[in-house]
Amino acid sequence: MAAEVDDRFGLGWRPQLAAGILANLDSIDIVEVIADDYFDAGSKHQRALATLAAQVPIGLHGIGMGLASTCRPDQKRIDAMARLVEKIQPESWSEHLAFVRAGEIEIGHLAAAPRNAGTVDSTAANLERAAKTIGGIPLMENIATLIDPPGSPLDEPQWIAGVAAASGCGLLLDLQNVFANCMNFGTDPFAFLDRIPLHRVATVHLAGGVWMDNGQLLDDHLHDVPDQVHALLRHLAMRVSQPLTVVLERDGNYPKMSDLLAQLDHARQAVRDGRRLAAA
Amino acid sequence: MTGPRFEAFLARIYTDPNARAAFLNDRRTEARRFDLSVEETNALMKIDARQLESAARSFDTKRAATVRAKTHHTIGARIRRLLSR
Repeated sequence: MAAEVDDRFGLGWRPQLAAGILANLDSIDIVEVIADDYFDAGSKHQRALATLAAQVPIGLHGIGMGLASTCRPDQKRIDAMARLVEKIQPESWSEHLAFVRAGEIEIGHLAAAPRNAGTVDSTAANLERAAKTIGGIPLMENIATLIDPPGSPLDEPQWIAGVAAASGCGLLLDLQNVFANCMNFGTDPFAFLDRIPLHRVATVHLAGGVWMDNGQLLDDHLHDVPDQVHALLRHLAMRVSQPLTVVLERDGNYPKMSDLLAQLDHARQAVRDGRRLAAA
Repeated sequence: MTGPRFEAFLARIYTDPNARAAFLNDRRTEARRFDLSVEETNALMKIDARQLESAARSFDTKRAATVRAKTHHTIGARIRRLLSR
């Protein structure tokens, strides 16, 4: 029997989607909120977020700590996340396997860390530092990159597995990022999944992207989830026994809420199919 | 192994077009200027220039888009409306 009952499906909270999300909470199991947007928010806004958290399970998703680095993360950001976690009591918090600044230079987005034994250890140490203050180790998300990070004797699956083993963290697996990186660097996304510790995957991100003129796939989160990513989700569901939380991310070019809910249904079906194939 | 200086060097060539051009023009000299190790310098020699330019463009676009709407500007009103029903 397919164990679909524990799998959950939700959306990333965006202002443009707020009304649609609140009107459809009966078919949305979880909402993921960008934590950094609330670090300096007034108490009124944080109370509103706490109220939302009382309506629907919330995951807090950080984007600015830069934990995958040989540099220590900014303690102020860790403290801000700790305060928000304390106030909102989310069911989980997450961050990215990326560095975002170095030498006082802000990159402004998520950059792939050099994948080597040194960054495995320093990332694990940074996760431990963050967990000590915040109270729990984050789920860590794989990122998309358009450049093969220099200084990387390890490939991406080896490096992710290394960080997970060294830190004990769970994984937030972004399947669009897996698909994009594999397309851009000529590897097989299904083989990628089979080489990372899938038993650590707690949450999954789905999104869409766009092929650029130079032949690279950009994860712009402005397009619908492609069939190939749903196929990866089905493959994942076939390979794991733990419940999955699947979150659809959309950052612009917003379709009607009914279209997003249809994409969530598509994801539900992919997970159901994967569970069924595993049970067969 | 790579260290903080290496990451700072990457951050610089990802974000500064002049630094990127200087690096692509003479990688070894630029690496020496920032006191990078032999191992780190060798890693920089292998960077694909096309990928570097593509990544830098993407970071540039995303930095511009980071003038992002703060979600809490709308959440308060939405929640209040929901609760008042």
